[in-house]
Amino acid sequence: MAGNFISEDERWDLVDRVSGCIVTYGIYRQSLRDVIGELTVVPLTGVPVAMAVLYAFWSIFGSFAGALMTDGFMVKLFDNYWLPWLQSVWPDPDGWLYFLFVGDPTADNCFEAFGMLTSGLFVSLGVVLWAVLIFYLMMTLLEDSGYLPRLAVLVDTLLHKIGLHGYAIVPAILGLGCNVPAVTATRILETRKQRFMMMTLLAIFIPCGAQLGVMLEVIPDSVGWVMLYLIAGFAIFGIVLDKIIPGKNPEILIDVPAYHIPDWNNVGKKLWMRTRGFLKEAVPFVMLGVLLVNLLYLGGVIQAISNFFEPLFVYWFGVPKETAGPLVAAFLRKDLAIAQLSAIPMTAYQMITSVVLISIYFPCVATFVVMLKEGWKQLLASVAVLICVVLVYGGLIHAIGILLGVA
Amino acid sequence: MDIKKSSSNEKIGGLSIYVMVLGAVAVAFGCADILVWAGFSSGLNLGIIEIAGDDFFRWAWGGLVVLMGGLIMLSGAVDAGEIRQFAKVTLGALMLLMIAGTDIFARLCENIPAGEEAPEFFNSLGGFIGGFAPPYSPAILLLPFVLVIVYLAVKYDGEN
Repeated sequence: MAGNFISEDERWDLVDRVSGCIVTYGIYRQSLRDVIGELTVVPLTGVPVAMAVLYAFWSIFGSFAGALMTDGFMVKLFDNYWLPWLQSVWPDPDGWLYFLFVGDPTADNCFEAFGMLTSGLFVSLGVVLWAVLIFYLMMTLLEDSGYLPRLAVLVDTLLHKIGLHGYAIVPAILGLGCNVPAVTATRILETRKQRFMMMTLLAIFIPCGAQLGVMLEVIPDSVGWVMLYLIAGFAIFGIVLDKIIPGKNPEILIDVPAYHIPDWNNVGKKLWMRTRGFLKEAVPFVMLGVLLVNLLYLGGVIQAISNFFEPLFVYWFGVPKETAGPLVAAFLRKDLAIAQLSAIPMTAYQMITSVVLISIYFPCVATFVVMLKEGWKQLLASVAVLICVVLVYGGLIHAIGILLGVA
Repeated sequence: MDIKKSSSNEKIGGLSIYVMVLGAVAVAFGCADILVWAGFSSGLNLGIIEIAGDDFFRWAWGGLVVLMGGLIMLSGAVDAGEIRQFAKVTLGALMLLMIAGTDIFARLCENIPAGEEAPEFFNSLGGFIGGFAPPYSPAILLLPFVLVIVYLAVKYDGEN
């Protein structure tokens, strides 16, 4: 064995020979991409660029998912062809099976029919599919072009103020697509404190792509206000959680790649993988969600819950007591719950409050299951935080409305 | 408007003047977008150019991006051939490109379907092309001039 060892000098000679073969020495010349890369992480130029990128992101999201696919084609397909056909062929409009699968026999659009084969299919395939598809395409392009790590560096200082570091932007943006992979992505954070905080804030304040898609349909003019309330809540409760939860908030080193044009093969594969995963989870949940909520309506459970929580809803949150039904549905699918709100008569501010409440209320059951996988103690703690947040923030939004004279 | 020539010979060459004018116009357009949205005017329609100002997202946020894009371009205008300065100009141009690009994409998405009342699913060819007729948003009007900067940046990046 001793014959196999080499001396230290020989080892360094070997290192020199190997590096001589594989390393090319030269003078570094800064390229235009390098300088642009640097400018996008400096706050003075980086923040305006981030605003432009986010603007483009949401503009493309709204144009494609809202104007083109849902309003342009899907509404017409479902309301002019699918719903009338289903209403004409399904027997016994007064029967409970009709109520479960087709919904309201007088409805003239799939949003308000609320049957499993009408609203269930329309929400999942007519609205959510396109919202998720374009969201993940944009997200993948940001990731693969090298912008996302720069955004992480840029927001690092800001997120440190609420006990997180820059890379928390990754689960936050992923959460805008679907909270399920976003909860898993919180594992990239360093400490238990940061993971718990991000998971809790995600579950409460980050609306998923499906929810955003339905929000664009139901309250296109008020989405900005809802997002403003959610962002403000994220910041306020982030600071509070940072103060009360013990633990560290260490710095991390981020590898920032050079800007490059994304490889379309990779983009295609990622897009397919993410959209397929989402559809496998979302479509059955939406369909079963409508079925279950209709069963609860038939059994009088929703009415009983509405009556029980009436004082809380009407006096504390300032919303109609009928909002209890969508809130129960929100546990199954939040997008579905927002679609349900469209059928309840209320003022514009009550609608904003109701949508915010649905967003900050319990995470959907799929997210709940993934959170449970991360640990039941953490889940219980998150739920406790969530209940406090719903009560405090819901009341606060109502108070703001009263002060502004709109509630 | 050669980047390297202006870098070595002069602080304010042809490229700098071009960038200054483009940046100043972008700043003016960005301000106009925001002011119309804020209610200083009920909407601006000057033939080929239109600022509706009816939507916070497009006119306040989008206008702010146009304004800041113009300012970033102006900050890189002096000695625009120097790489750091030219990077600022490119960054400002890319910001304007994002707004113009999304405006055109929005028109594209609105004009492919036939419209809510029509029985058909797809718009007619005439209707589709008609959807791209003027008036345009200020960002779209700036697009050809912005593309010159983008072309120079791509050329520069390719050569180096």
